Amino acid sequence: MEQILATTLRSAAPLVLVAMAGVFAFRAGIFHLGLEGLMIAGAFTTVAVGDTTGSVELGVLAAIGVCLLLSALYWWVIGPLGANVIIAGLGLTSIGLGGTAYALGAIFDVRGSLFTDVVLPRPVRDVTSGAGVIIAEHSIFVWITPLIVLAAWVVLRRSRFGLRLAAVGEYPFAARSAGVNPSMVRLQAILIAGALCALGGAELSVGALRNFTENMTNGRGFIAFVAVIFGAWHPIGAAFAGLFFGFADAIGIQSQINITERVPREFVLMIPFVLTIFAVWLGGLWRRRSLEAEAGYAELREPDF
Amino acid sequence: MTSGLRRAVWTVVLVVASFLITALILRVSGYSVGDVFSGIIQGAITATGASTSSIRWAIPLLLIALGVVIGFRAGFFNIGGQGQFYMGACSALAISLGWREGPAGLVILCGTLAAMLAGVLWSLFPGWLRVRFGTDEVLTTLMMSFIGALVLQYLTAGPMRNPQGTGQTAASERIPEAFRLTGGSGVSLTVLLLVAGVTVLVWLVLERTRFGLTMTLVGRNATMARWQGINVRRVGLGAFALSGALAGLAGAVELYGPAARLVTGFSPEVGFTAVVVALVGLLNVWGTVVAAIFFGGLQAAILFLPIVTDLPPPALVLLHGMVAFLVTIKFRAVRRRRAAQTEAPAG
Repeated sequence: MEQILATTLRSAAPLVLVAMAGVFAFRAGIFHLGLEGLMIAGAFTTVAVGDTTGSVELGVLAAIGVCLLLSALYWWVIGPLGANVIIAGLGLTSIGLGGTAYALGAIFDVRGSLFTDVVLPRPVRDVTSGAGVIIAEHSIFVWITPLIVLAAWVVLRRSRFGLRLAAVGEYPFAARSAGVNPSMVRLQAILIAGALCALGGAELSVGALRNFTENMTNGRGFIAFVAVIFGAWHPIGAAFAGLFFGFADAIGIQSQINITERVPREFVLMIPFVLTIFAVWLGGLWRRRSLEAEAGYAELREPDF
Repeated sequence: MTSGLRRAVWTVVLVVASFLITALILRVSGYSVGDVFSGIIQGAITATGASTSSIRWAIPLLLIALGVVIGFRAGFFNIGGQGQFYMGACSALAISLGWREGPAGLVILCGTLAAMLAGVLWSLFPGWLRVRFGTDEVLTTLMMSFIGALVLQYLTAGPMRNPQGTGQTAASERIPEAFRLTGGSGVSLTVLLLVAGVTVLVWLVLERTRFGLTMTLVGRNATMARWQGINVRRVGLGAFALSGALAGLAGAVELYGPAARLVTGFSPEVGFTAVVVALVGLLNVWGTVVAAIFFGGLQAAILFLPIVTDLPPPALVLLHGMVAFLVTIKFRAVRRRRAAQTEAPAG
């Protein structure tokens, strides 16, 4: 049981970090399907730069830099250049997945996985029994994730920027007449999302593990996005949804060890995706009750090419 | 220029831009763009069997992309072609392995129909959720793709695994040679005629039938279509079913054509590439044919490239992502910006 809870925290942390990114994008009215690509770009850059320089701090900073740059490009393409949000987002995901796998071969001459010695600091270590196992061996990012969730909540709820973001997401026309530039507010939200994805990717590669593997995000960016919808695009709600998906993941990992003989591994791996469909369905039902949100939401996805 | 021609030219400009940016990335990371380019030309056109190989890779892309075109026309982002393709291939395989002694023609027919049915079911479930509950189809079709890939992995590693198989990747048994429509090249007259027939049929449905017209109307403005008495739900379900059937058919053609057996995770990018193909083809049937042949050629070339240069194959995924990232940029938005800049240089 302790082991399952510990694995839950470890699986949930990257999901929650990326879900916070999704919350910021969603509040700005952006259906951000590039989260997966940003996440894997962050994971790769952390390992690549961290391993080359031997400093995990530099690795994380570089990851944030790369993700900010990619996010700025994404904003430029969907904002001023008017590209379709969903298609460009999926393109960004492919750029991330393909680009990192390409760079792995081109720079490090490796196919598959790149192992590294750098790792994020782990505040609590060497606990082997009792309830302490739950909090042991987690990277510093797992510890700061609740703080980031709280910070996101405060920023969205209490700050001038948060209120502008809400206005831009729900009714850009009103925001514009109040003297707010929706495009600039969206840029800020996308940049925040990019930085958070970098943290989530770094946690995945050097927090929970010590390597970068091709396609290691394995749909987590999309699952985090669903956590946003499941959590009604509220930071706390999305965090709990992320925690829940982390729990499902932990059960999956645990049952792979214990019950593989009876249940094929693939069916266990399907659990998050099936739950995701269920969550989108439920989230959709919930969404219908809130008309304003529906309006803001519909605006993002007019299929206009 | 007519607006259609202008859109075509603009799309070509964007695709070329994506290629140039990718070429720049290759250059910076130390590969000779000239070598890669000549490798692509050889691998797609001039080398022995290259053009056949290009057609072989264009066929699944074209069939799935036509499904994407239908979905997008009706205003639905059915991006789950990958899973529908896998389920189609698995169903055809199940029929073909379960009925080895059957008459070849009948088995192939049943297998193909089963494949289309499986594609329809895999696509209709998210479609039904969409029209009945308003559940977002972008995410559900994507998740169905992930699940389809796991089903394929389960079948090839478990019930359908080739017991004599060696090596690490799980693969199914081969279907009897009598059931195959092509040799290993994946191209034969039967398959070409089949694909051409399906393409013309899709064109007829989209451009010459009442159903195609109502679909386009629903895609343009669903509310307006409802006011005009169109049953939007039924049209939506029809669009999802058709695009699933096409992706399932692509799976059957892959099995009875070049593959003959299924390997876990085969053609992992074909579903997403088909979306890119449909967009580059401007959601137009003939445009999609051209785009499918083009991207099929690239796929063939990337498999040939290791002979010429040591470029890592994921470069192709990067290129596809780049095209998708840029291809929906609006000409109007760019021109408006330029106009605004020349009028108000200080601003």
